[in-house]
Amino acid sequence: MKKILLYLDGKPQDLSLIGACQRMVKDQEFVITAIGYKEHLPIGDSVYDEVLVIDEQDVMPYDTLNLTQLLMDLHLQHTYDSILFPATPLGRILAPRLAIALHVGLVADVTDIHLNHGIIEMIRPAYSGKLMAQIETLGKGPLMMTVRPGVFNADPVSLKPTLTHELHGFNAKPSGIILLSTRQKTSTEDIRDSKILISGGGGVLEHFDHLQALATLLKAQVSASRRVVDSGVVPRRIQVGQSGKTVSPKLYIALGISGSVQHIEGLKNVENIIAVNTNKNAPICSLATLVVEGDAIEFIDKLIIKIKQNSLNFKEETQ
Amino acid sequence: MKIICLIKFIPDVEDFTYDYERNVLIREKMNQILNPEDACAVAFALSVKRYYPNTQIEVITMGPKNVTPKLEELLRLDVDHATLITDLAFIGSDTYATSRVLAKVLEQHKSDLILTGTHTLDGDTSHVPAQIAQWLGLPHLSNVISINMNTMDSGRLELNVEHDQEIMSFALKLPAVLSLQKEAPYKLPYVRYEDLNKEVSQRLESISCLECGFKKEEVGFEGSKTKVIKTFVKTLSKKDKQEVTLDEAGIQVVYDFLKEKGVLS
Repeated sequence: MKKILLYLDGKPQDLSLIGACQRMVKDQEFVITAIGYKEHLPIGDSVYDEVLVIDEQDVMPYDTLNLTQLLMDLHLQHTYDSILFPATPLGRILAPRLAIALHVGLVADVTDIHLNHGIIEMIRPAYSGKLMAQIETLGKGPLMMTVRPGVFNADPVSLKPTLTHELHGFNAKPSGIILLSTRQKTSTEDIRDSKILISGGGGVLEHFDHLQALATLLKAQVSASRRVVDSGVVPRRIQVGQSGKTVSPKLYIALGISGSVQHIEGLKNVENIIAVNTNKNAPICSLATLVVEGDAIEFIDKLIIKIKQNSLNFKEETQ
Repeated sequence: MKIICLIKFIPDVEDFTYDYERNVLIREKMNQILNPEDACAVAFALSVKRYYPNTQIEVITMGPKNVTPKLEELLRLDVDHATLITDLAFIGSDTYATSRVLAKVLEQHKSDLILTGTHTLDGDTSHVPAQIAQWLGLPHLSNVISINMNTMDSGRLELNVEHDQEIMSFALKLPAVLSLQKEAPYKLPYVRYEDLNKEVSQRLESISCLECGFKKEEVGFEGSKTKVIKTFVKTLSKKDKQEVTLDEAGIQVVYDFLKEKGVLS
């Protein structure tokens, strides 16, 4: 029976760490203990066998000095086979501390796990994802890794009755860290921060305002080619390209953009491009995963109708 | 006040050359640059020194000897002292072994504040600053975007940390380890023209594994807790390009694509 400890620090419904566990243990039996602060833990039946709730009165999140001690005490009591952290800002500074405290190796941002004759081999990206490294840990002690949220898909698991324990009475040392305030970031609307960009070129110049409706629907930002910026329709701060900004969104929808060399220079590590153009041989189309031949404004209108229809159908089905 | 900036020179990832036949990085061809977020840390320390002239700044790095000219450049920018931890024995050190050596050196070079970057562009594990803080028993915060200069001499530093959509303000007692991130506004200045050839070698110290107080088997591959079995280039499983026209079927393909990619729920 393998004992696994998961530190939860994201949405309770993110099951990436469970997905990682499933790959790690294959057919062996395992018990999973989840630990974290209340807002990140599930309530009632869950995919975990046991849930431990840390008391904010005892240790504040971001007081990693004391949190490390708390987790170390727990490990000394229960001797886990593996300890997994999400690669959240907190997970990323907490996991390395615990690894040092326990004198074990730590592998960051694991994206895949292979079992090789019982040895767990972890794959992680390096050099901005240009290179992948296959890593194993050496020596005694629990196997430790961090996993980015959403990286592993968990196989369906049935919910089980979960034991919940509240941890009280941890004796924290003075840490010297005080949280003064927390505030939401005001949106700077930097196109470089956007995961999805709806980008318009000469082909949509006359009706550029249509792009915003699609962007709102897809929670995306609007960007533009130099031609649109030079014509004065939009400010330069949303220009993609050599004389504008370099962007790396997950999805780039290029509407009526031909794709000059200077524009393509501004696209680095874009995962997917949908190109909509009346000319399917435009340079941008050779980079695209999906090419739609046709008028880009017409495309926007049709796609918006499609999305709205389907979300209506979905609501009716679930009601 | 004494500030130590822990910095790393990394291969320029934009200038990435890979030998696809031998499956190795061609390091000789790579241009070494100061990791951008570490540059931010040095730039902040320099601005503290302009504000509080009695501030002492030291940079410490582990790496090959050929980074010496880069360290000299920093010394020409008003950094007081540079330490290069260099030894062939360190090759293959993982973050456990690396942080152990750095922590030992930091212990010998006492300071009030240790500054680092949050990420490096090469390995990008972000482990080392937190691990050093653990070895030294110090508090640590990462993703720091600004530090209130006026609080620098109060012993209670105020700073802002950015986590996704949130900005948190903290007060922190020194000594501590702080990791800056690239959103911080601190930029390294250029070396002044009259300082371009300034003699700085006296302020540059180079120390070996033994001088750090470690045996060879405690560092490098042997002193590590993880091992890279192999590296490989990600093979893109890019599907062939799909072409559709702007009709009902075409829009359905786009809609399904957006669903598959998680853009639409």
